[in-house]
Amino acid sequence: MKGELSRDKAVSIFERMVVMRRFEEMVVRLFEEKHFFSHYHLYIGQEATGAAVIEVLGPADLTLTTHRNHGHVVGRGADLGKALAEILGRSDGFCGGRGGTLHLTDRSSGFLSTSAVVGNCVGLATGAAYALKQAGKGNVSVAFFGDAALEEGVAFESMNMAALWSLPVLYLCENNSPGAGGWGSFTSSVIAAKKLTDIPESLGILSRQVDGTDAKAVYGAVVEAVARLREGHSPVFIEAITERWPGSVPLWPELIPGATDMTMAWDETKITGEHADWIRNHDPVLRFARDLIADTVLTQAKVLAIDKRVNDRMETARTFAIASPLPKPESAIEGVFA
Amino acid sequence: MTEMNYAEALVDGLYISMDSDPRVSLIGRHVLGLSPLRYLMERIRDAFADRILNPPVSEAGIASLGVGAAMAGARPFVDIATASFVFEAWPQVVNEAANAHHMSGGQFTVPVVFHMLHGLRGGGSAQHSHSPQAMLWNCPGLEIVLPSSPRDVKGLIRTAVKSDNPTVFIVHSKLFTLKGDVPEGDYEIPFGQADIKREGGDVTVVATSLVVQKALEAANALSQEGIEVEVVDPRTIVPLDKEAILRSVAKTGRLVVADECNLSCGVASEIAAIVAEYAFESLKAPILRVARPDVPVSFSAPLEDYITPTPEKITAAVRKVLG
Amino acid sequence: MPASCNQVVFFEKGLLVDSEHGNPDKGVINLTVMVEKKVKRKDRHPPVDKLLKMYREMLTIRAFEERAGELYASGAMPGLVHLYSGQEAVAVGVCAALNTDDYIASHHRGHGHCIAKGARVDLMFAELLGRLPGYCRGKGGSMHIADPLTGNLGTTGIVGGGIPIATGAALSSKLRRTTQVGVCFFGDGALNQGILFETMNLASIWKLPVILVCENNLYGEFTASDTVTAGKQYTSRGQAFSIPSKEVDGMDVLAVHQVADEAVRKARAGKGPTFFVCNTYRFKGHHAGDQKQSYKREQETEEWTRKDPIPRLSQWLLSKKLVDRSILSKIEEEVEALVQEGLEFAQNAPEPGPDELMKHVYAE
Repeated sequence: MKGELSRDKAVSIFERMVVMRRFEEMVVRLFEEKHFFSHYHLYIGQEATGAAVIEVLGPADLTLTTHRNHGHVVGRGADLGKALAEILGRSDGFCGGRGGTLHLTDRSSGFLSTSAVVGNCVGLATGAAYALKQAGKGNVSVAFFGDAALEEGVAFESMNMAALWSLPVLYLCENNSPGAGGWGSFTSSVIAAKKLTDIPESLGILSRQVDGTDAKAVYGAVVEAVARLREGHSPVFIEAITERWPGSVPLWPELIPGATDMTMAWDETKITGEHADWIRNHDPVLRFARDLIADTVLTQAKVLAIDKRVNDRMETARTFAIASPLPKPESAIEGVFA
Repeated sequence: MTEMNYAEALVDGLYISMDSDPRVSLIGRHVLGLSPLRYLMERIRDAFADRILNPPVSEAGIASLGVGAAMAGARPFVDIATASFVFEAWPQVVNEAANAHHMSGGQFTVPVVFHMLHGLRGGGSAQHSHSPQAMLWNCPGLEIVLPSSPRDVKGLIRTAVKSDNPTVFIVHSKLFTLKGDVPEGDYEIPFGQADIKREGGDVTVVATSLVVQKALEAANALSQEGIEVEVVDPRTIVPLDKEAILRSVAKTGRLVVADECNLSCGVASEIAAIVAEYAFESLKAPILRVARPDVPVSFSAPLEDYITPTPEKITAAVRKVLG
Repeated sequence: MPASCNQVVFFEKGLLVDSEHGNPDKGVINLTVMVEKKVKRKDRHPPVDKLLKMYREMLTIRAFEERAGELYASGAMPGLVHLYSGQEAVAVGVCAALNTDDYIASHHRGHGHCIAKGARVDLMFAELLGRLPGYCRGKGGSMHIADPLTGNLGTTGIVGGGIPIATGAALSSKLRRTTQVGVCFFGDGALNQGILFETMNLASIWKLPVILVCENNLYGEFTASDTVTAGKQYTSRGQAFSIPSKEVDGMDVLAVHQVADEAVRKARAGKGPTFFVCNTYRFKGHHAGDQKQSYKREQETEEWTRKDPIPRLSQWLLSKKLVDRSILSKIEEEVEALVQEGLEFAQNAPEPGPDELMKHVYAE
């Protein structure tokens, strides 16, 4: 059946999710060790969405992301060492240290420039879709953005044109603050719509809501959407709803529930404390591990083996990034023009 | 060479650009604004209908699409129409297009052209009369083109479309009917190469866009009195041909800078600062700027006339630097 | 009488919600009173003096625009002029539901809104001609007439630019706890400006007393609006942000007035914004110099001219025997005289001197 997840693809999605999770945990560690100082945003809690979307894409499809970009970039296969080096502002980073965490991007993995201005990637991805449509090879572009992007006018202007001109763009709205709206929590999405999908629907754009922590559900919705886009139909909007990771609630990210313990996927007794509900019910990595074990796609040992492999890659990446030299000060004024 | 007006030359350059490169798309249909000459665009609309998008009034959106399309392999020519409307698209032009190449460590180029009509147009009042080139000059990463003649507009539009950088192509609608000799066929005028529009040994006048033509008028009038003005047209302010300006000032020792931006932090101010910094020894008199006073543009004709840089104002400034 | 008018209950004079008292509850109380005072179905319409005022205002707008078009054609005025002819029912129908201290913000085709909100035609003509006694001392021109004394925050030359301004004024009313409302008029072209969506969202979240009035005259400049506006219904753009949204016959001043009146009452009572799409038509081109209008469908102007809101109201008034023809004729003569006098005043008014230039760049 179209949209059904094969065993291979399921394992691939799971491994992407583990890469995303362990990468972000490494970022926190590097920050706590004072290897970099800027504000940063983590993708923890949203891995099922990004990994499932990326699994559907082909190498020539384009992705655009936001300030919360690490998961998308490393999930799509970007070199982990270069990604960490960029976050540390080192010369071996993807952008030579000019972009940092906010603008992490990797052209060779199918990303365009990463804008940290809320809503701007919606327009950029729509423009990219126009270029892909002109090129006529059936490729699509995907805009990953948060719910707050729908508070920005440029998102509407762009979606309106995508609808008018049938551009092959998938709007992947990662709503990580459902039900928020209180002041001062730094997580509130302040949108008057009863459902976020009412907004694209008002422009005649086909829209779906999915559980963003359910990799299978996201995968199914995206397979269908991308197939439509490749056939030349109008843009599609998917709202993937996730429960905010408690570590993203403070102004600066913290590993509040602790680093991920994969054995919690099967050992219920280990889940305790204030954030037990999030870990038990909303952590997409543990949820998918649990599902895959139940479906006999993976065993506990396989899960731990994947995790170990990823952790080893992370250590190598960390060593590479820390060893990478800082850029030469005078290079600050280079590279303004092509 | 063939004689044609500025609007024809602009359309000709855009036509060749679209004809010679299928990646070039036009976002916007008018290009010539509300000018009576806008029928000239029919030629382009007929030939390239599949590469012309007629957008809604969504400046932020079309600028953003232009940047995204450019990064993904297209070469969009985005018509912002009246230059004041670039303020609606400001985040996309100054914070996306200008930054993407440098910020990504050179991973991306953004070959987009933003085309706009600047300046005092007669009754445009405060919201349709801006000359945003100096504000844009404050955004490193944008190339800024100010063509002042039919020959220049055609050659520069070719370079703009071929450039791998985001380019702001700023045109004065009052130039549309200006006639001049234009080479036939395809040619390019490189960016960063000033044009000495008139040679003279007494005073250098650096001017841009429409004001170049006014400076030439002033120079012709002064020539009757034996004062020979050299008119230097940088043609692009980013990149700027500093050498040509400094060479001319070294020869004349006197400088007037004239353009349509506001006086403070305007194009004239920056050029004056460069000359003061690098050619102070050559100067025999203080540099004078002829620009718009720092007020919003008024509607009423006598008020708009009062703030318009004119040949008379340039003439007066030239006399003053001559002492 | 248009069918839609049968549903409405109009306030009698004196019971109109009076924002000057600054009592936010007053609107609610009045509403209750009026529901009880429901008049008989056949008599439901605004009082005759109000109807005649609306007739007079529509005529004034039309006459003003005729002269403005002539002025443009004669080369006497600088810049462009965008004529409102054909759309009078929208400005007049909405503004008749407002008090003097309610706010409006308008757009480049704004003369009608200025007049409907109470602007003087002599001072408007003076502004069009760039003369010193003009509303903006000649600095604004046709596209930028503002008149704070009648609550007119200005006409803007930026498509969609007035939308957040009137909404900001509504926010001010809310913060100051008055019952003033804000109205923003905008064209179908502004339906695709991001600022509309941002403003709708804020107005809805904060329940601001603002009425968003889209005048769909079928064209944004020279472009048919349905070719640049995605989605089946324009009203769905407001509905997406949980704003009550309605299509209205914008050629019927009574229909417009009815829904506007209802929306204003709701806004004064703290029940938040309303969005209207008024279907109307501009009899002229995008601007007075746009004579050819080749983008319009054949016969289109003729079809819409048959819906002309001005004869529509006069015929209705006569058929209902609410007035004699002689009263209407008298109004027509008075309007002609007023507009003619206003024009002559402006033509003889002085131009501003250069000393005006540096004034009002900053507040003193």
